[in-house]
Amino acid sequence: MPPTTEELYQQRLARYTTALRNGKPDRVPIRPFVAEFVARYAGYTCQEVTHDFQKAFDATLRCAADFDWDATVPNMVWVWTGLVKAIGLKYYAVPGIETPPDACFQYLEPSDDDAHMRPDEYDALIEDPTGFLYNVWLPRVARPIQKPGEPVTLAHNLALVRGGMSMMHYFQGLGDQVQAMRERTGTVSAIAGILKAPFDIIADKLRGYRGLCMDLFRQPDKVLAACEALTPHLLHVAKATSDPAKQAPVGLWMHRGCSPFLSPDQFERFYWPTLRQIIEGLWADGIQTLFYAEGEWNPHLKYIAQLPERSIVYHVDRGDIFEVHRAVGHMFCISGGIPNDVLALGTPRDVRDWCKKVIDGVARDGGYVMDASAIMQNDTKVENVLAMTEFTREYGVY
Amino acid sequence: MSEQERTVRPPGTCVPWEEQVKEFPPITGDAELVRRIWQETDGFGYVFIWQCLLSF
Repeated sequence: MPPTTEELYQQRLARYTTALRNGKPDRVPIRPFVAEFVARYAGYTCQEVTHDFQKAFDATLRCAADFDWDATVPNMVWVWTGLVKAIGLKYYAVPGIETPPDACFQYLEPSDDDAHMRPDEYDALIEDPTGFLYNVWLPRVARPIQKPGEPVTLAHNLALVRGGMSMMHYFQGLGDQVQAMRERTGTVSAIAGILKAPFDIIADKLRGYRGLCMDLFRQPDKVLAACEALTPHLLHVAKATSDPAKQAPVGLWMHRGCSPFLSPDQFERFYWPTLRQIIEGLWADGIQTLFYAEGEWNPHLKYIAQLPERSIVYHVDRGDIFEVHRAVGHMFCISGGIPNDVLALGTPRDVRDWCKKVIDGVARDGGYVMDASAIMQNDTKVENVLAMTEFTREYGVY
Repeated sequence: MSEQERTVRPPGTCVPWEEQVKEFPPITGDAELVRRIWQETDGFGYVFIWQCLLSF
C-alpha cells in the first residue's frame, strides 16, 4: 500500500531534518529554492506570481506535486509586490509596472544623495531603532507616509491601514500554504522566519552599499554601534518568526558580506561579530540558521568554523563547495552547489554530471541537501530541474 | 525632542506599557488583562515596521 500523504510528509521531514543536523538519512534530501522558476513551470508570468501571491502558492504546489521534492519554500518569490504598492514603497521595481511582466522584481539601490538614512543620522538610529524606522525611515521609503509634524493626509492614513492589513493577509495566506503543502503534497516547508545581518540591513535598506562603504572610513565607530543597536531587534524578530517546532531553520539572506564587497579586515570588524552573536543566540534556543552564503564566501570559512556545531546549514553559492566540505563539513550540513548557469544554459547530462560530482564529493557521509547554488529564477530550464531531481533520487541513496 | 521620542523601546515594543498606562484613566477592572492585551497589540506595530524592513 502506498504511503498516505501524511506518512510521506513524515518520511520527508525525517530525511530533511536528519541531514540538517549533519546526519545521514536514507537518501540525499531534495530541497530546491525555486523562485520565478515556478512561474515558468506553471505557465504564469513573473508579474502574476509576484503581484498575486495565490498564483505563486499555486505554482509552488504544482511543482512540489510534480517533482516530488522533499522540501521547498512555500513562496520563494519573496517580495509580494501587492503589499509594496499598498504602502507605496519606492525601493522596488515591480514586474508589469516598472519592469516588463516577465522580468523578476528588482531592488533599487538608492543614489548617494538620496539614501534612506543620511550619514548624520546614525545617532538617532542607535538611540532608538524602532522609533527611527517609524519616524524617519518609513516616511522616506513610502511615498504617501508623512513625517511627524507634517499634515496627515488621506493617502497617509490609507497607506498605513492598507499596509498593516495586507501584511496580515499575506502572512495568514503563507500559514495556509504551509499547511496545504503538508496536506496536499506531503512537502516539508524548508525554512521559517526571517533574519538578516545587521550590516546588510544598513547596506540594503538604510545607507545603501556605497554610502555605507564611505561610512566605514569616515565614521567606523558609528557603523559598529549601529550594528550593535540593531542586533537585539534582529535576534528578536528571528526568534519570533522561527518554526515553533524548531525543525526548519531560520532563513538568513546575506548580501554584502561576501568577497569582494568587504575586505577580510572589514568583514572581521564590521560584519561578523554581531551576526555571530545572533546565530549563537538562536542556537542557544535550539534554532538553526539557514546560512545562505550568497556569492563567494570561502575567504570567510575560518570565521564560519567559529560557530557551534550544527548551529547553521551552510548553503553554498559561488564558493568552491568541495573546499567548504573539507573546512566545515564535519561541523555543518551543506546545501546547494549546483551552478545556476548550468541549470539555465546546460543540458540534463551536464546537470547530472554536476550532481554526481557534488554527491560524491560532499554527500557521502550525509549532511548534504541537494539544491542549486542560488535561487532558481525563470531562466532555469524545466528539464534541468527534472534531471537534478531524478538523478539525486536515484544516485543519492545511502 | 518630546518625551514620546525619548522612549526606550525594547525589542518587541513600540510604546511600553509603562508609558501607555499614563494615558489611561485609573483602571477600574483587571489591570493585568489590560497590560497583557496592550503589549500584544503594540507588538503588532513592532512586527509591521520590522517586517517592512526585513521582508519587504
